[in-house]
Amino acid sequence: MRKTGPEQLSDEQLVRRVARGDRAAFDELYRRTAPWLALRLRRRCADEDLVAEVMQESYVAVWRAAGSFAGASAGGSAAGWLWTIAARRLVDAFRRRGRSAEVAVAAPPEGHAPSAEEEALGGELDARLATELARLSPELCAVLQAMVLDGLSVRETSLLLGIPEGTVKTRARRARIALKEALA
Amino acid sequence: MTVLSDPLAPTSAFAIEADGLSVRAGRHVAVERLGLALDTGVHGLLGPNGAGKTTLIKALATVVRPHAGTLRLSGVDADRGDLRALRREIGYLPQRFGFYPRYTAREFVEYLAWLKEMPRDAVPAAVDRALDRVGLADRADSRMKTLSGGMVRRVGIAQAIVNDPRILLLDEPTAGLDPEQRVSFRELLREVGGDTCVVVSTHLVEDVAAACEDAVLLDRGQLVFRGSIDELEAAADDVGDATASTFERGYSALLRDHRERVGA
Amino acid sequence: MSPVDTWHVPDALLDRFAAVDGAALPAPEQWSVEAHLERCPDCRARLGRAMATRSPELLAVVEDVRAGLDARISALPAPARRRWGARRLTGGLLISRLLACVAVLAAATLLDLVAASGGGAAPSWLLLAAPVLPLLGVAASWSRALDPAHELVAATPAAGLALLLRRTLVVIAVVVPAALVAGAVTEADSQAAWLLPCLALTAAALALGSITGIARATALAAGAWVAGVVVPALALQDTPAALEPAWLPVWCALAIVAAGVIALRRETYPRMMER
Repeated sequence: MRKTGPEQLSDEQLVRRVARGDRAAFDELYRRTAPWLALRLRRRCADEDLVAEVMQESYVAVWRAAGSFAGASAGGSAAGWLWTIAARRLVDAFRRRGRSAEVAVAAPPEGHAPSAEEEALGGELDARLATELARLSPELCAVLQAMVLDGLSVRETSLLLGIPEGTVKTRARRARIALKEALA
Repeated sequence: MTVLSDPLAPTSAFAIEADGLSVRAGRHVAVERLGLALDTGVHGLLGPNGAGKTTLIKALATVVRPHAGTLRLSGVDADRGDLRALRREIGYLPQRFGFYPRYTAREFVEYLAWLKEMPRDAVPAAVDRALDRVGLADRADSRMKTLSGGMVRRVGIAQAIVNDPRILLLDEPTAGLDPEQRVSFRELLREVGGDTCVVVSTHLVEDVAAACEDAVLLDRGQLVFRGSIDELEAAADDVGDATASTFERGYSALLRDHRERVGA
Repeated sequence: MSPVDTWHVPDALLDRFAAVDGAALPAPEQWSVEAHLERCPDCRARLGRAMATRSPELLAVVEDVRAGLDARISALPAPARRRWGARRLTGGLLISRLLACVAVLAAATLLDLVAASGGGAAPSWLLLAAPVLPLLGVAASWSRALDPAHELVAATPAAGLALLLRRTLVVIAVVVPAALVAGAVTEADSQAAWLLPCLALTAAALALGSITGIARATALAAGAWVAGVVVPALALQDTPAALEPAWLPVWCALAIVAAGVIALRRETYPRMMER
C-alpha cells in the first residue's frame, strides 16, 4: 500500500520501486535525473543525436536492471549507478560508430593520489591543488577526468578519447607524478 | 600493430603470439608447430574438418595445454603466467556447450560472469548489456530450456563478451542463427573488433568474408595461409567449380597448393 | 562529517556549468561540480532550472527521449524478480543430481528396513552405499557428462580447486546429513562407520583426479569400492571388514595422503579437461 507519492521518496527508494515495476516511480526518477545526465553526456560528446540515443538505452537499462541496484550493497547513490550505466553505453556507442569524444576538455591537474583527488572533488579545493590542476595540459586533464571522475577503465578511456591504451597509461602516469610533486 | 614507445609499457605488442605450438587432441597431434601473431581486429580461422581449428581455439582459451612451443597472451606466457588473471581477459565460446535448463538466460550469464571473477557490483549491468548486444534483452528472464537453438547460441556469445575481454575466441558462433541474426552478429563483431582481438572459427564463408579483416587457414594442424581477405581471394584460380565465389576458390586453391607441397 | 557535505554549488558556478556551449570551465571547478552533482539531488534540481535558460535545446532532447521512452517501456514486460545467491551457492550442480543421491540413500534405507524386518541384518545397504555417493557429486561437478556447462566452466578463471571443492562440499552437505538421518531410521549400530570412508574416498577421487581427470578418478574410486568392499560383503553376507573399527586408521591415512596430494597439485586443477 503506497502512502507516499513518488515525489516524496529519495532517489534510491525510487529505484527500488522501479525494480518492482512501478511506472510512476520510473517517470519521477527520469524527471529528476535526465537533465543532469544529458548535460554530463553532452559535455563528453558533442553529437546530440548520440546523446539522445545513449540516454534512451541507459534508461531502458535502468528499467530492466533496477533490481540489481536494489540488490547491490548499500551505499552509492542512484545517480552514481545511473552514470556507470550511461558511461558504458556511451563508450559502446563510440565503439559502434568508430568515434570519440569531440568536446574540448578543460585541463585537469595531474596526479593520482586518491585522497588529494577526493578533496579536490568535494568542493573544497586546496589552493595549491587548484593551481596545479589549472596548470595541466588538456590531454592529461581528459585522461584524468575519464578515469577518476567518470570511473572508466584504461580501455574504456582509450575508446572514449580515441587514443591508444598505451598513451592513456602514460598520461595517467605523468598525471600521478605531477600531482605528487604538487602535494609534496 | 601498435608499437608502444613508452618504455614502461608491457613489452609485447600482440594479443596472441604462438611459436612452434603443438597441441594434442587425445593421442593425435591436432596442431603442429604453429607460429602465429594476432593483434586487435577480427580474424577468421578456416580449414576443413579435422584441421585442428577447435583444438587451436581450446589452446588459446587455455583450456588445453600445448605439449610443445610457446603461447603468449597479451604478452604473458600462458604456461607459466598467472592463469586466473589471463582467463579474466578471455572470452570463449566453444563449439558445443550445454546449459542448466532451469536457469534463465540472465542467471546463466550471471553465473558465468561470476565464474569469470568480474567485480560483483558490475555483474548485473554487464549481463544486461551483454544480452542487449546479442539481441536477447526481452528474453533475458526466460528459462534456458524455453529458448531456441539460435537463442541458446546467442546466450553463449553473451557470456563470452560479458567481461569485455581483450581476447575473444568464438568457435562456430553462427551455428543455428538465421540470416538476419547472422548480419546482426557481424555488426557486433565489427563493433567489438575495434579494440579486441577476435578469432572466429567458422565454416561459413560469407561470415569470414563479411566480418573478418584477415584469415588464418589451417589444414591437418599446419598453417597454410595467413593474410588479408584480399590476398586470399587473389589466390583464386580458374580450376574447379565456376559457381563458387572468389573466396571459396581462393580457399580451395591455397589448400590444394599446400597439400601438393606437403605431398599429402 | 567532513565540511564537504555542507558545500553546495554556488549559483553563478552552476549557471556557467549549465551553459554547455559556453567556454569550458577550468578543471577544478568542473570536477567539483560534477562530483558534487552525483551526490546531491537538490543541486541537480537547481541545475535543471538553470538549464531552462542556459541550454534549452538540451532540455528539448530530454523531452524527446522521454516521449520515446514512454513508448518503449510500455512495450516491455515489467522487470522480473530476482533470486539472490542461491544460484551461486549450488552453482551449476543440478538439483536433479543431488536428488538422485538422496534417492539412492532412500532406496538403501528401505532395503535395510525390509531386510531387518525380514530377520537378516548384514550387510547394511546404507553402509555400502553412503561412502560412494559423494563421488557422484564430485563427478557431476567436473565432468562433461554430468555438468552440462562444463565446456564453459572449464575455461573460466574460477575453474580450479576452489570451485571443485565448493561443489563437492555442497554434495557432502546434502549426503551426510541425509545418511545420518537414514542411519537413525534403520537403527542399526555403528551407522557412522561409513563417514570416514566416505570422506577418504572423496578426497582420494579428488586427488586422483588431478592426474587422470575427475571422471576417470571417480569411476576408479567407485569401482575400487564396489570390487573391494561391496562385492565381498554381498558374497559373504557380512558387514565388510573395511567398515570395521580396525580399518579406521587406514581410512585416516588415505584421507591425509589424498589431502596432501591435492594440496601439492592444486595448480593443475584449472587445466583439467575431461576427454
